[in-house]
Amino acid sequence: MSSFADPTLEGARSSRPSRARRAPVSRLGLILMAPAMLLLTLFFFLPVALTGVFAFTDLSTSTGIGRGDYVVTPNLLRELGDRGMSSADLEAVSRASVTVDAETIERARAAGVDGRFLDDIEGDFLGRSFDAPSDFERDLRRLRTAPRRARDLKSAAALFETSVLNQRFTTSDGLSAKLETLAPEVTPAARAQIVDASYTGARFTTENFERLATQKETARLVANTFLYVGATLSLFNVGLGLFLAVVLFYTPKGMSSLFSTLWLLPRITPVVLYAVMWKWFTWEGGFLPILAEQVGLPSFNYMKGSVVTAWATMITLNGFIGASFGLILFSGALRAIPVQQLWASEVDGASRWQQVRRIILPQMRWPILFVTAYQTLSLLSSYEQIWLTTNGGPGRTTTVWALEAFKTALSNYTGNLEYGMGAAMALVLVVVGLVLSLIYLRLFKFNELVGRPKIEI
Amino acid sequence: MTRNFALFPLMVVIILVSLPLMTMYGFLILDTFTDAPPGELWPDEFTLRHWRFLWDMSAAGNVWMATLNTAVLALSMVAVVVPVSSLAGYAISRLNLPYRRFFLAGILVMHAFPAVTLLIGVFFVLKFTGLYNTMIGVILVKGALMLPFGIWIMKGFYDAVPWEIEMAGVQDGASRLTVFWRLIVPQVKPGLVALSVFAFLDGWGEYLLPRVLAPGSEMTVMSVLLNQLIAGDDIGFDFNLFKTVGVFYTLPVIALFVIFQNRLMTIFGGGTKG
Repeated sequence: MSSFADPTLEGARSSRPSRARRAPVSRLGLILMAPAMLLLTLFFFLPVALTGVFAFTDLSTSTGIGRGDYVVTPNLLRELGDRGMSSADLEAVSRASVTVDAETIERARAAGVDGRFLDDIEGDFLGRSFDAPSDFERDLRRLRTAPRRARDLKSAAALFETSVLNQRFTTSDGLSAKLETLAPEVTPAARAQIVDASYTGARFTTENFERLATQKETARLVANTFLYVGATLSLFNVGLGLFLAVVLFYTPKGMSSLFSTLWLLPRITPVVLYAVMWKWFTWEGGFLPILAEQVGLPSFNYMKGSVVTAWATMITLNGFIGASFGLILFSGALRAIPVQQLWASEVDGASRWQQVRRIILPQMRWPILFVTAYQTLSLLSSYEQIWLTTNGGPGRTTTVWALEAFKTALSNYTGNLEYGMGAAMALVLVVVGLVLSLIYLRLFKFNELVGRPKIEI
Repeated sequence: MTRNFALFPLMVVIILVSLPLMTMYGFLILDTFTDAPPGELWPDEFTLRHWRFLWDMSAAGNVWMATLNTAVLALSMVAVVVPVSSLAGYAISRLNLPYRRFFLAGILVMHAFPAVTLLIGVFFVLKFTGLYNTMIGVILVKGALMLPFGIWIMKGFYDAVPWEIEMAGVQDGASRLTVFWRLIVPQVKPGLVALSVFAFLDGWGEYLLPRVLAPGSEMTVMSVLLNQLIAGDDIGFDFNLFKTVGVFYTLPVIALFVIFQNRLMTIFGGGTKG
């Protein structure tokens, strides 16, 4: 709190010494913050929380995002058999039994079975059930109205079969009750196991992280990410940015502003057009391959044709965007160097290299650290340019962690989007991002940035 | 200064380093009104047929509709980001909020935090709220993700306003809100303009969110249209057409950038300099 502010302002409003006085909470402040808080809660905090929650589920396209159903399928029974459930139980569950009740009659009528035949069935067998479909067929054949052809009779009889297989139940109790009536000999424990396994919705699991920890793919993704971030950052965001800043520092004003504008273009060009330009530049039939052909170098699709060229393309195209960030920041820092230092060194006969090495670079330490910290975060999580250009190819050689997370959860061609797995991968990035941004705030004098406001009323 | 150093080697170096960019942007413009024979680098023919998509909707789809949609998206971004950030920025800069330090730390962390990693979480939020596949959802998400930046920039501008102005207003009996509206807002106009331009450019260039969060939306924006154009035609890549559509799409960006260049430059580097 500025000591300058207190006597005039607060003295006028209260006679207490200003230091002891706690300023009242500003209700207006809360109101002004409300819209921002609402939006940030919905689309910032909630997504973080949901990423955390869904990272521990097996949510995917096949489980669906809403509540699941309970369905026993032949596949599920086979799986349960593999897991050691007794075949007698499985047989009992998959057995079809025949029941004649209002529901099955209605079903047969809807399927187009002769009405008189159905009336007879209703009259003779209503409420009865048969263990084996063959018994039922034999009884049916005795009816006068029964169809002549054996095939018709069989298909009509089949309509009265009920089985738990492939029926959807919305609650576990519904399925459990049905199983109890259809297969009473199955023990409650086995029944509970079947019901539990038949749930089609998402469930909580730590499998995603186990998979990440054990699969070989993870190591390669991590290595790719490190290579991508490290190379782009050192070669372009810091390296090229610093180089451009220093060179433009020494060039006349007109030329330096021309080139800073040129280098700012990749940042303001819409990403889709930027990708088109790079495709034109490196694609077969594009600029570089034609040029290479004319001078007799190997000419192919550089963006996707080989691992080395794909990496070079990917790092360069991202680096050209990042270089402008470094350029702007370093240029600002360069202008802040007292120009007398440079004059003095020139009088003393320093060469340009000595000037850069002894005067400029030592004063660039903090800007370099800032650019490194800031751009590490954005490179770690950026995948839009990669997605639109190499798309992680050839094969998966240029796939980085963020791109893989995105593709797993939201964009792949197999059709089964693994939201849970993608969320787990994103959670890793969220945690890394949070930790790094906290460290970065520590480094850059956070306490100064959050100093108390000047006027508190 | 530096008069005794030769300028020539520097110019050679800078031109060499910038050559790829100069080539790409040079040919970007050149290719929109010329044709080159296959397998050749240099064009030999002037033509305007690459611009036919402006009246011939079969060439690249309905570009005018897409342009309108993009403008709606970009302007909505301005409408969401600018008012919300300027209110919150003022509160954080000047008012005694409970947990103010906490808010400020949160804004800073969010500003540094890479928001794209939240895309999967955002996808769930939109699914649950029913905003998935709507442009409103895209605008709200995009606006919310830009808020930490906006609030931080605006806070910087409010911090630079001399508080004597505010104090004078308060002592003359004006309410805090009146002071804000009548005295402070006019002082931060440059900030509002810069933030508006940023929000507009951000919305104009956006591809990822409309593509992922509203894939079935009726509102096709230019970025999505351009990418569909490229992805749709695997055999004959008509780069000249793609580039011409791209240049058409980018014209407003260039125009805004030229007009506001100096103001934007100061906060392009992450907004730490307000």
